[in-house]
Amino acid sequence: MARRGAPVDVVGVGRTFALAGDEVTALRGFDLHVPAGGFTALIGPSGCGKSTALRLVAGLDTPDEGTIDMDGSSPDEMRRGQRIGVAFQDPSLLPWRTVSTNIRLALELVGRRHDTKAVDELVELVGLQGFEKARPSQLSGGMRQRVAIARSLVTKPDLLLLDEPFGALDALTRQQLNDELQRIWTARGTTTILVTHSIPEAVYVADEVLVMSPRPGRVVARHAIGFERPRTRELLLTDRFHAEVEAVSASLHRSEGQVVQLDTDPS
Amino acid sequence: MAAAPTRPAGGSRLDRVPPRVLSSAVGIAVLLLWELLARTVYAGSYRLSPPTAVVAEFFEFPGLYLRNLWHSTKTAAWGFLWGNLAAMALAVASTLVPCLRRSIGAVVLTVFCLPFIAIAPILRLITGPGNATPIALSALAVVFTTYVAALLGFDLAPGSALDVVRSYGRGRLTAFRNVRVRASVPALFAGLQIAAPAAFLGAVVGEFTGAHRGLGILTVRALGALQTDRIWVIAVMATIVATGGYLAIGALGRYLCPWSPALDVGAVPVPRTEPGLLNRLAGLLAPIAVVFVFWYAFLWVFGIEPFFAKTPVDVWAELFSVSEAPETRSIIFGALGTTLWTTSLGYVVGLVGALASALVFILVPWLERSLMPIAVALRSIPIIVTTPVIILFVGRGLLTTTAIVAVMSFFPTLVNCYTAMTRTPEGILDVLKSYDATSAANVRNAYLPTSVPALLASARIAVPTSLLGATVAEWLATGDGIGAVMVTAFTRNDFKILWVSVAVLTIVAVIAYWLVAAFELRTLERMAPGISR
Repeated sequence: MARRGAPVDVVGVGRTFALAGDEVTALRGFDLHVPAGGFTALIGPSGCGKSTALRLVAGLDTPDEGTIDMDGSSPDEMRRGQRIGVAFQDPSLLPWRTVSTNIRLALELVGRRHDTKAVDELVELVGLQGFEKARPSQLSGGMRQRVAIARSLVTKPDLLLLDEPFGALDALTRQQLNDELQRIWTARGTTTILVTHSIPEAVYVADEVLVMSPRPGRVVARHAIGFERPRTRELLLTDRFHAEVEAVSASLHRSEGQVVQLDTDPS
Repeated sequence: MAAAPTRPAGGSRLDRVPPRVLSSAVGIAVLLLWELLARTVYAGSYRLSPPTAVVAEFFEFPGLYLRNLWHSTKTAAWGFLWGNLAAMALAVASTLVPCLRRSIGAVVLTVFCLPFIAIAPILRLITGPGNATPIALSALAVVFTTYVAALLGFDLAPGSALDVVRSYGRGRLTAFRNVRVRASVPALFAGLQIAAPAAFLGAVVGEFTGAHRGLGILTVRALGALQTDRIWVIAVMATIVATGGYLAIGALGRYLCPWSPALDVGAVPVPRTEPGLLNRLAGLLAPIAVVFVFWYAFLWVFGIEPFFAKTPVDVWAELFSVSEAPETRSIIFGALGTTLWTTSLGYVVGLVGALASALVFILVPWLERSLMPIAVALRSIPIIVTTPVIILFVGRGLLTTTAIVAVMSFFPTLVNCYTAMTRTPEGILDVLKSYDATSAANVRNAYLPTSVPALLASARIAVPTSLLGATVAEWLATGDGIGAVMVTAFTRNDFKILWVSVAVLTIVAVIAYWLVAAFELRTLERMAPGISR
């Protein structure tokens, strides 16, 4: 399988926000290494700076300290080079556009408005054939997320950043989309960083799961996930999967210094 | 997730200057420029008074100004009281007896669309020369907005809370008392806030057409005598009092319901009509019938003499069956054409200017921080009150109407559209930014589309108000359009023409309102399906 995309190297990154006269340090000493074509999941307690980290890598925000390098480029250069695709928990679709024109938005922004083939391909890849003309309001939550994922992929980015894209969905839809995400990633081989709350989700889709500490966030544990691909739902029922989930959960537990509800639900 | 800064730190150093300092600096610069222009370019032209002369004029006759200001304020306060009481009573009736809602709504909308300046002479027939006409106009001026706001407030009551009341076997009245009244307070205050300047406007317009005291009659006299400084003093005083009322009620509302987010009554979505031709027809005809019933009842209750009182049948006859009908038609519709043309031109100019300014404000944050507070303050001013100032500055011609309508529509549209643009979902902006979208792409894909619902909501109110403003300008100054026809009829005691003009103008304004509302509904369904009900 062809691996493409940019490797990501984040070293010693810190970010502090001024909030109502108070200073809140979201990240301190945050390190992250994702090889080209790798799939890394970031997991951690609420408010640990996962999303902040992702925004920094996306070039949507700038760090106060530390460096972020992607194949010799800064996040801002990557962003300006239009080499990044992002999808958030909120699908952030334009409500007045249809499924296909929402996906096309990304192409328009990178100056490839007429690449209808790419749009059709992505509609098919995320399984939305027959809904091309539908507007977001006519779609279910899961379908909207697929559109957002398709939009983030349509420009063939070198880096895909996903911030809890399935966070608001029910368990069943979520598992289905995780399957699709894995399939798409396998087909495309784009470097991917996924921020999530769900340990089973992280273990199921990623090559490596990074556990973050509470605020100020930094990576406190790394778990390489060696399951062969393609991973299927049978994996969810195996002991080795559960062992891996338990291991990540224990790391998270230690990082929080408090009891973590063990979420063995595969969603 | 930690709260990210909502806007990227701009490149300009001006972004770090506190907004108060910026607006004050801009305010002072405007005053200086104004003084300079008035003393040089416009010196001796009677078109523009320098600020210093305005202040000097006030201190030369403080008694005169304060006496008349007090009189108009008192009138407005009475109108505010009666108008709001009536509006709230109507809103309560509409909520408790839902089948009345459509008819009450039609009557209230018709009142909103009446050309106030022309109904003053008609009201004066009933009330005599006293202060009752300005009070009545002032009351009429607030009915619509307060009614809409109160109704919105009652409807905002959480459905689950209403279900709880029902689950205990209690009826509509209990639900109303325990849930709806409480829930309505924030929206009600948003409506009352708009009503304060509107009541002042109604009082002054009522005084334009013959009162013994008050700022309105003082303005008309000053306009006749070309006392530029005096007109400016009046405009400034009216602005201060109207804005003061707006701010005071806003502060009271925030004090009473600190939990509530700012509500904009101008942005109330239009209710959907039931499908089906028969329903639509009934929905259209019933309110019209109710309006006619009110028209007859008005004439009958007050026992107005037939020479003055014209029924719907009389108006129809004047327009279509008596021997002079063709002549009347050509006068009325010719003048109406002029009014509609100048008004639409002014509205479009104001609209385009407002949208362009809102976009500039979005893209250049320091400009927004220096100018937006001024625009917000100016939005609350009943621009019609400052019509004489604009008349002096622009001169008396077709352009005057256009200029007044443009200024009137500019500020509310600017503030509403800008506010909507700032509420563009962060996520959409992040997506655009992640592709390094240009400003033009941001405007096209995010800011402009998100402002459309606000634009249409503003238009629904602004279009009838523009017609009202245009008729005031024509009545006072231009000698063109239907306003001029009405003032001529008024001075000749030609009540037939006066009634016909009022009726035609009101119908046109109501139709304009419904056209905008229908377009709004269609657009919302397409663009923001979550918003339309």
